[in-house]
Amino acid sequence: MSNARTEATHRGATSECLLCAQELSKFYPDGRVQALDRVSFHVNRGEYLAVMGPSGSGKSTLLNMLGALDRPSSGEVFFEGRPLSEFYPWDRFRCEQVGFVFQSFHLLPALTALENVQIPMLETRRSAAERASAAESLLELVGLASRRHHLPQTLSVGERQRVAVARALANNPPLLLADEPTGNLDSAAAEAVLDLFARLHGEHRLTLVVITHDPALSRRAQRVLRLKDGRLIADEPVEGAGPVSDQ
Amino acid sequence: MRLIHVAYKNMQRRRLRSALTIAGVSVAVAAVVALVGAVGSFERQLLAVFQNRGIDLVVAGATTVQRLQSNLEEDLGRRIGRLPGVKHVACALIENFSFPELDVLGVVVRGLEPNSFVLNEVALIEGRKLEPGDGDVMLIGKVLANTLSKRAGDQFELVPGRSFRIVGVYDSYNLLESNSLVVPLDALQDLMDRRGKATVFMVVAAESSQAAVESLAAQIKPLAPNIDVLPARQYVDSLIEVRLARAVAWFTSTLALIVGTIGVVNTMLTAVFERTRELAVLRAVGWRRATIVRMILFESALLSMLGAVVGCAMAWFLTQMLRLTPTGRLISGEIGWYVVAQGCGLALLVGIAGGGYPAWRAAKLLPTEGLRHE
Repeated sequence: MSNARTEATHRGATSECLLCAQELSKFYPDGRVQALDRVSFHVNRGEYLAVMGPSGSGKSTLLNMLGALDRPSSGEVFFEGRPLSEFYPWDRFRCEQVGFVFQSFHLLPALTALENVQIPMLETRRSAAERASAAESLLELVGLASRRHHLPQTLSVGERQRVAVARALANNPPLLLADEPTGNLDSAAAEAVLDLFARLHGEHRLTLVVITHDPALSRRAQRVLRLKDGRLIADEPVEGAGPVSDQ
Repeated sequence: MRLIHVAYKNMQRRRLRSALTIAGVSVAVAAVVALVGAVGSFERQLLAVFQNRGIDLVVAGATTVQRLQSNLEEDLGRRIGRLPGVKHVACALIENFSFPELDVLGVVVRGLEPNSFVLNEVALIEGRKLEPGDGDVMLIGKVLANTLSKRAGDQFELVPGRSFRIVGVYDSYNLLESNSLVVPLDALQDLMDRRGKATVFMVVAAESSQAAVESLAAQIKPLAPNIDVLPARQYVDSLIEVRLARAVAWFTSTLALIVGTIGVVNTMLTAVFERTRELAVLRAVGWRRATIVRMILFESALLSMLGAVVGCAMAWFLTQMLRLTPTGRLISGEIGWYVVAQGCGLALLVGIAGGGYPAWRAAKLLPTEGLRHE
């Protein structure tokens, strides 16, 4: 498909499709390692998508491209029907449209939970009081209002991940990208995070793309993509899940 | 929460390293404030000696490296006095004396004619002024009198075997004057075996407009070979003693500033390296490169400004210590706000210069590389 046709196709899909990956390939600089090989799929608005696959299958590379942290060697990502290249500078795109959740939380150790949640808001025009108030609300949403003045190292791993989720939601993005969000958590803490994701998806209509090895997490999603050696080998709905779009 | 708050908390995370960096910057600031400040204070006091008496022009020897060793003919003063645009002219022989046995070095002794206009404004607190026909007598500044425990009526041996009687003690807000001696011109000429000689002539023009003063300077210049006729500011600037002191102060301060800057660079580079993944996360959540740069610069500027505060305190202490040295009488001990501002300004420059490269390194970090960093 030519670039022009591809773009036209995705421009036409804006009402339903939030994110479209079109023929994404990624070669690392030496040119020999191909992390992704012509991967195409779409994510509808309000959809909960899990991406699974063995280590080295290209999951994180894919997530980085969807979140504009990295650019494909070929192919394009479309967001609301427009190619990501149109969203440059991508830091602004990440600030406004995407929330990231990492396996290791990556909270700033010198800042309290409340301050960590405000970090992405420092790039917005909100006043200091508005930022603090919004961060309080988000910590309430993730059930950590009482822990807002705690430093990350004084929180449990599950609480840290919930603070990280609150941070990802700081600028009210339509899309949440999570890379192994339960990978460092015990089963109880993982369950709490999965419950939180389910609530964000069900009640707040958030679109979630979650990389995981965790079958429990993939069962909570509506659709699962499976990658192997950089190729998309399966794109299948989860049995018993609800409809894949909010239409 | 604001960006500066994040920078402050980051600085607090590495207390020992931050404290050492602040110490490095504070030494640099202390050097600037204490040394450059002391030299500046000396220059201002020297200039005030001329300006407070309305002296428009100073005539000194052009060929001498050290202007205080000028050897002009005393008669030149009379010829200058006859020029139509001259209101006053004073002839002065200036010498430096040291009294190591009293632990007092660098005392300026001015030989002046008793009726010189320069002595008109002297504020006597004890005794009398110089009078025509006085022999080996002297006026002594209040600070020097206190240092030497002398008062009017006492004798003071200027050189071994030749005592001068103190006829008066004068006060001056100018530390340089308050630390000096005034003796009759002919007595000093005789003492130094420089009869008929002078070091400088101080001229007050009848009209003090710039054009009139320049015209007067042009008339004085041809009166003798190898003389400079300079406005007071230019004369003070041209003194080799002042220039050397200024150069040494700035050289020492610049070295200290370079060391301080290297300390900041080292601290901030280490911080950037240690926080590679953290910086990548900040980029991932949408921070612009400019915000990363601002945060790193805030951190380095905070370090350097704290260094400035500590440095100013150190400078005050250092100045008080310098006053205890044999030549410390000439140091006022006061630290002007402009010297503090200069020190703080340089500290800020050290912070920005020291944080600049680490900030650039941090900003060019790719988020995907940073997230992989262990």
